[in-house]
Amino acid sequence: MAEVIQEQISLYDKLQILSDAAKYDVACTSSGVDRQGDGTGMGNCSKAGICHSFSSDGRCISLLKILFTNECIFDCKYCVNRSSNDVVRTSFTPDEICTLTMEFYRRNYIEGLFLSSGVLKSPNYTMELIYAALYKLRHECNFQGYIHVKAIPGADQELVKRVGFLADRMSVNLELPTAESLKLLAPHKTRKNILAPMRLVQQKMQDNRQEIVLYRNAPRFVPAGQSTQMIIGATPESDYQILNVAEALYKKFELKRVFYSAFVAVNEDSALPAKTGEGPPLLREHRLYQADWLLRYYRFEAKELLDENNPNFNIFLDPKCDWALKHLEYFPVEVNKADYNTLLRVPGIGYKSASRIVKARKMGTLQFEDLKKMGVVLKRALYFLTCSGKMMYRTKIEEDYILRNLLNTKEKLPDSVTGMTFKQLSLFDDVNFREAQIQTIVG
Amino acid sequence: MVCTKQVYICHDTITGIFSAIYDAWKESRDTEAGIALRGCLMPQLFCEYREVDEKEQKSIAVERLIKNNLGYNAYWDLYHALLSDGPEKADAVYQTILAARKVKDSRKIMEHLSNPHVAKVFELSRKVANEAHLFTEFIRFRELDNGVLLSEITPKGRVLTCIADHFTNRFPLENWMVYDKTHKVFLVHKAGMNWILVEGEELDQTEAEKVSTAELEYERLWKGFCKSIAIKERENLACQRNHLPIHFRQDMTEFR
Repeated sequence: MAEVIQEQISLYDKLQILSDAAKYDVACTSSGVDRQGDGTGMGNCSKAGICHSFSSDGRCISLLKILFTNECIFDCKYCVNRSSNDVVRTSFTPDEICTLTMEFYRRNYIEGLFLSSGVLKSPNYTMELIYAALYKLRHECNFQGYIHVKAIPGADQELVKRVGFLADRMSVNLELPTAESLKLLAPHKTRKNILAPMRLVQQKMQDNRQEIVLYRNAPRFVPAGQSTQMIIGATPESDYQILNVAEALYKKFELKRVFYSAFVAVNEDSALPAKTGEGPPLLREHRLYQADWLLRYYRFEAKELLDENNPNFNIFLDPKCDWALKHLEYFPVEVNKADYNTLLRVPGIGYKSASRIVKARKMGTLQFEDLKKMGVVLKRALYFLTCSGKMMYRTKIEEDYILRNLLNTKEKLPDSVTGMTFKQLSLFDDVNFREAQIQTIVG
Repeated sequence: MVCTKQVYICHDTITGIFSAIYDAWKESRDTEAGIALRGCLMPQLFCEYREVDEKEQKSIAVERLIKNNLGYNAYWDLYHALLSDGPEKADAVYQTILAARKVKDSRKIMEHLSNPHVAKVFELSRKVANEAHLFTEFIRFRELDNGVLLSEITPKGRVLTCIADHFTNRFPLENWMVYDKTHKVFLVHKAGMNWILVEGEELDQTEAEKVSTAELEYERLWKGFCKSIAIKERENLACQRNHLPIHFRQDMTEFR
């Protein structure tokens, strides 16, 4: 039946359907690998990645983000393409994928290909098709740009390995933070099936590093590393649980990135939260990304930021300020003496300004004006710092006092958290909103 | 006695400005002198104006002088500053070169940001480099019926030489061309060869509109893709505008 429909669908409609179905995947980065073209084909890669356009939701378009097929034997409750949904089903052929990628690339529309897929017939069958498309793209079209590919949970190890040698980045979606949620919302996927390919990619990357030391020209296996993503707000996990999962992934699986995707209600299902008209929980997603940075660049641990009694992020304060306010015993710190790790924990000091401070103070004693030039955000940092023993202004080191002042300075939220006002915050943003907190703020 | 300042007048090209620096350096590096660009000159009192005889050899000599004495990194900044659209750029570069004579380590001249001329060079150079980077993102090629890929852009600075290596490495086997509409310069790349810059020619609009048959279809596919990839529930035009300013959209396929 499906095959009959497929024949009649034009390339334009296929692209519409299969890009629309892929849009909920977050990662569109083309970063992590620096590769010059060798002059015999087309394409190169730059370490920082290149965005080529921005869609009307403000997200960057870097890669041609498509599904190979939206046919799927799985029935994940949150997904548009679940087998129980009645949507038009179609698939690309490997040739069509190659043509689209090459023609878009040579017009400088895109930086490469992001290929995901529904599960057609079986995980192995789908992975074979993906392999065929990528093989053709790399070896027949001689494409040297960026390729990000999804490993299909449940596919054979050998297939995952072969695909990994063709791609720059590989990702397996964790989908949901806990195994219970996964069982509830994605009955055909298991935690084991998701973690197995992740572990495989990790091991293979380690082996590959050895090979490259021995043979400089050995083929590279997933040189830009692996990433994953989790859906936020579809299941009742707390931020604490989610952050712990992310931390475990960074530590145990050496992931490059964990992406968080605010849940967008596309299906009506009794297992999913009801549609509320409030839109996806963007602020919560933003707080998770902030905390994610604290894990990766600021040497924080999940258990320092949240705990079982305080399992969710403060909606009014970013995680770092929130942490500092709860640990005033460490502050104020002396800019001219504190070590790098301590500086990293001061709100308003980023990892770049922290290293600038460490370098600059060898040349002379630093004053508050100098800090400003180095990019320190003084309106936040001033409560936590001294320069040569003096604070910038007369301030009290009290939680309430600093909190009130920090709230007055208004955190600049990025545009991605659309015109977010306190009124629009939904229950998803702070599940266990603390009453005491409201009183501090209102009072 | 009235002390007069010698001002050298040149065209707004690398050769022109480097020739002016050559003359100024040779004749008046120990007295007061400046460089002004033809067309954006504000006559001042007590100045003597002189037209510069612009020569490729002078330009090469200055390039060597800078690279040998200030190092490649400083040359990179000075060169990029000269590609910007600021009228005071030539003088800022000349004064920076003079300032480099007075500091202990000339190679670290770009770190002396307290000097207003150095700060100006730094600002201009960063502006051009940033703009050039944006063009590696936002340039769009269209395929003409003879197979050549053509792109038209409207940059503020002369960014073509900054993006040339990037695209040469990326599309080594393609014939492609970027036309800078602001400065009327072509960047031309022939398959398998290195790029060249062509000045003094204008784009033939009728020829430039003759696109290949496949071209319209790919444009339609791309426009469709840009729409379908957006998540309606997260629409945020302000964020889109911050990342992709309106100025760039005039030459971009998906916004036409």
